[in-house]
Amino acid sequence: MSRAESVVPSSRRPRDKGSHSRRSSNVIPHVVLCVGAVLMVGPFVWEVLTSFKTFAASIHVPPVLVPNPFDWHNYLTVFQTLPFGSLFLNTVLMTLARTAGQVIFCSLSGYAFARLRFPCRGLLFGLFLSVLMVPSQMFLIPQYQIIQHLGLLNTVAGLSLPGMFSAFGTFLMRQFFMQLPVEMEEAARLDGANPWQTFWHVMLPLSRPGMLALGILVAIWSWNDLLWPLVVNTDPAKMPLSAGLASLQGEHLTNYPVLMAGALLASLPLIVAFIVFQRHLIQGIASTGIKG
Amino acid sequence: MSVSVDKSEPATVATDYRPTPARRPRRSGVHRGEAWWALAMLVPTLVGLGVFSLWPIFQTLYYSFTTWGAFGGHEWSGLENYRSLLSDSELLQALLNTVIFTAVTLSSVPLAIVVAALLNRPGMRGLAVYRTLYFLPVVTLPASVALMWKLLLSGDYGIVNWLLSLLHIDGPYWLSNPSTAIYALAAVSVWSSVGYNMVILLAGIQTIPRDYYEAAELDGAGKIRQFMAITVPLLTPSIFFVTVITVINSLQAFDLVFLMIGVNNPALDHSQTIVYLFYKTGFIDHDGGYAAAIAFVLMLAILVFTAFQFRLQKRWVHYV
Amino acid sequence: MTNSTRSGHSGAVLRKPRSRRHMLTTWRVGAVVLCVLALVGLAGCDSSGDDGSSGGKVTLSYAVWDQPQVPATKRIIAEFHRSHPNINVKVQVTPWDDYWTKLRTAATGGSAPDVFWMTLAYFQYYAKGGALMPLDSQIHSDNIDMSKFVPAIRDAYRFDGKTYGMPRDVNSFGLFYNKKLFKQAGVKFPDSSWTWADVTAAARKLTNQSDGVYGIVAPEVDELGWYLTIPQAGGDVLSPDGKRSGYDQPASIKGIQFWVDLVNKYHASPSLQQMTDTDPLSMFTSGKAAMYYGGSWDPVAMSSVPYAKKNVDVAPLPHDVTRNFYSNGLANAIYARTKHPKEAWEFTKFLGSKRAADINATTGTVIPAYKGEATNYVRSMPWLHLQRIVDQLPNAKPFPSTIDTSVWRDNATKEFAKAWTGQETVPDAAAKVAKQMDAALSDERK
Repeated sequence: MSRAESVVPSSRRPRDKGSHSRRSSNVIPHVVLCVGAVLMVGPFVWEVLTSFKTFAASIHVPPVLVPNPFDWHNYLTVFQTLPFGSLFLNTVLMTLARTAGQVIFCSLSGYAFARLRFPCRGLLFGLFLSVLMVPSQMFLIPQYQIIQHLGLLNTVAGLSLPGMFSAFGTFLMRQFFMQLPVEMEEAARLDGANPWQTFWHVMLPLSRPGMLALGILVAIWSWNDLLWPLVVNTDPAKMPLSAGLASLQGEHLTNYPVLMAGALLASLPLIVAFIVFQRHLIQGIASTGIKG
Repeated sequence: MSVSVDKSEPATVATDYRPTPARRPRRSGVHRGEAWWALAMLVPTLVGLGVFSLWPIFQTLYYSFTTWGAFGGHEWSGLENYRSLLSDSELLQALLNTVIFTAVTLSSVPLAIVVAALLNRPGMRGLAVYRTLYFLPVVTLPASVALMWKLLLSGDYGIVNWLLSLLHIDGPYWLSNPSTAIYALAAVSVWSSVGYNMVILLAGIQTIPRDYYEAAELDGAGKIRQFMAITVPLLTPSIFFVTVITVINSLQAFDLVFLMIGVNNPALDHSQTIVYLFYKTGFIDHDGGYAAAIAFVLMLAILVFTAFQFRLQKRWVHYV
Repeated sequence: MTNSTRSGHSGAVLRKPRSRRHMLTTWRVGAVVLCVLALVGLAGCDSSGDDGSSGGKVTLSYAVWDQPQVPATKRIIAEFHRSHPNINVKVQVTPWDDYWTKLRTAATGGSAPDVFWMTLAYFQYYAKGGALMPLDSQIHSDNIDMSKFVPAIRDAYRFDGKTYGMPRDVNSFGLFYNKKLFKQAGVKFPDSSWTWADVTAAARKLTNQSDGVYGIVAPEVDELGWYLTIPQAGGDVLSPDGKRSGYDQPASIKGIQFWVDLVNKYHASPSLQQMTDTDPLSMFTSGKAAMYYGGSWDPVAMSSVPYAKKNVDVAPLPHDVTRNFYSNGLANAIYARTKHPKEAWEFTKFLGSKRAADINATTGTVIPAYKGEATNYVRSMPWLHLQRIVDQLPNAKPFPSTIDTSVWRDNATKEFAKAWTGQETVPDAAAKVAKQMDAALSDERK
């Protein structure tokens, strides 16, 4: 079985119709998995319920399960405290910019490393690898200063720019390109295509799974990014959702219902996107694990 | 896949484009201008990384040898920062916190293996549903995760302590007790990363041919034995991958500490991670030089841990 | 690593008439990329063009940290805009914990808000560092009468002979209490005769562990905590000449011991861990604590909680040897490197006007530093005896501050936490704090 096929979930592959006695013995696994699933989902359920409680109800001992009275005001407070529309827009723009940037630029550089020959290729690749090994905190302060000098503090551009380039993305795309058949390329070369044409017309379409995987990873990472936005955008209207939520907490301290309402609103878009596209998302994530 | 190879079409002259005579490829396979094309394709990433990654590394290194003034400006101070580092008990504690955090978070790997193995059983229904549910925490904003768990772990009003009280256990103030805070944070981290590890491990498990299990079954091996003798060894490449990722991410933990432990929390010293200390030093105390030194220490720690893991892999990872 | 599959006429791949489809894909991709970049660019331009003067319109940014005070602030801005239609003001609310971090980073980077709240604890640091714009020439040329401000606040915002802040408010304090809980426990309401002993006795009687109710909240903070009790005990946090720490004096230790005993000796207050877990003010406004030492800015936050509005009242601060307390007051400051100095001054001038003070007072937001507004403040919330808070003002002492207050202040907070958790005795902690504070103070003089 080749590596590429293993990305497909087992529910799609021809199932081995083993002995039927195995089916009944799946009870215990189901029980275990269910317990785990409850642990996974439970906090979300509690989050939703609490977001509709009054503060008094949320700190009641023993805990109140169903909010009574149903309090919508918590959501209103969230919107009053945070410029939610702006936060959402900022997050979307930043995520789009970073994802588009990385997918495009890393496909280019990944292909160059995978298939093209040029002087100092090894050296440059080593350079990329070493960047990979360095934690992002080593970049943070100078990155901040660069953005500041460019006058891009408190802008979406400043939020997105450093995240549009990535050594990891290059590495990932290189892996994907290296797994593609050489023959296509050789044929294209023989036909007289230059490297760009080979890349654009032949290799790029073939690398869609790779681009998808990279895009998904970058999108999730970008949406959830906290440290950089905290540092670079201090204007509340220019923050993304993650930083905005942090300041919601700073404002409302331990007013749990309001915090839960804010937490739910902020994470809902990505969760919805996940549920809608889950097949592709999970496939993409899984495929990043099956590399050389 | 948009490329389709039509083998039935006879070879004809290309109509889309024509190779210009001057650029006929050489027999050796290396295109004459290939290096230029490569450069062109590399330029965006090269420039971007150069400006935003490479240059900053050297800048940060330089800053680690400086001390900073009130509203900007810095001056050379040599090894001053590093000397303070070695005797800084707060930093050493933060290092310890980070190591504890990482160690506990690693427990999400065996958990994920078990879940993946259970999901891989033949005739397992609802796999997609389980997968979605387990992956939900991964796509949730860390800020939201932090707030959710802050409520659940509230000493007086949280569900966790209420459940414990049903078992007649007096739960501590998880997030403000210095002894428990870091473990509480790590538990949340496990919760939010099991799904990710599980997906990768599941994909890895699915590459293991069923024949192995059938053969073992015929030999009389029980489920557990099969798991230990077949699944785990063959899964080691994925386990290695997941472990490396988990360690690197855990060593850089910041979000949870920032959101769940406030500056005035008595448990801060015993729960702040290296990156949090970096942020505090660089952006709250505005001591950019010392923060740079901390970042350097973190980088060394990650390099050491990762190198260590890569070294070890020869011992326990079986590549097929 | 590469899977090679032998396929025959691979050359045919490139000869398929896919040019049209490819062109479409190319255009599509190109269009998407252009759109994204355009959006990013627009979003980037949008904000930087925001505080530019496009067509005579100027937008100022005004940074504050207290959300409950925002409604009154927005009203002030609306009035200002009516008389200055070409100036827009955007309020930026940053929670207290992050406010100074951000301000300093922004000030260093040249992108601080145009006008922002300043407090005495940080004032000298910012003034000395050149981050604030001196206001004397504008005050002079616009003939602003500075004598209409409370002298203590007005003078506190002068540094090196120059004025750097337009006084905004002055703080007073009171003992907020829960009438319902007091009645239930049969304890008499606090009045001006109360001493520390009365507080402690009442707190013990009001504490009902089984109900989860505490007599008082004793948070580990200076401004609402030992900055009130140390002067009451006759002590000083900072020596009058500003050179030595007063934390190791017996009176200061007494002032802190009062709070620590409430937590650890009498168990009449939640523990530090509990108060970290749940915010003290919420505990009070939801009936989990019967007493709360609060500031003149707290009522507006309490008024938004129905339970508190019904059951809370305020009494004068209990006294010890004296009735003195440390009082802070905010000022509005202009960023030294603002791109709109004229407009920023116009706005700041309005912020210091009687009209702005009226709005702040009549909404009960704060006691303005503008003299004569106390009556408006008192009348703003009839359900509270705010007069009792205002009556304390004559007992106010200047807030202890030096060039770099936050260094020793933050350390004191960190060290005294150990007394709250019982790790250290108060005298031991106080000795350490005094030592570190003295070192910091002598560093300043270098």
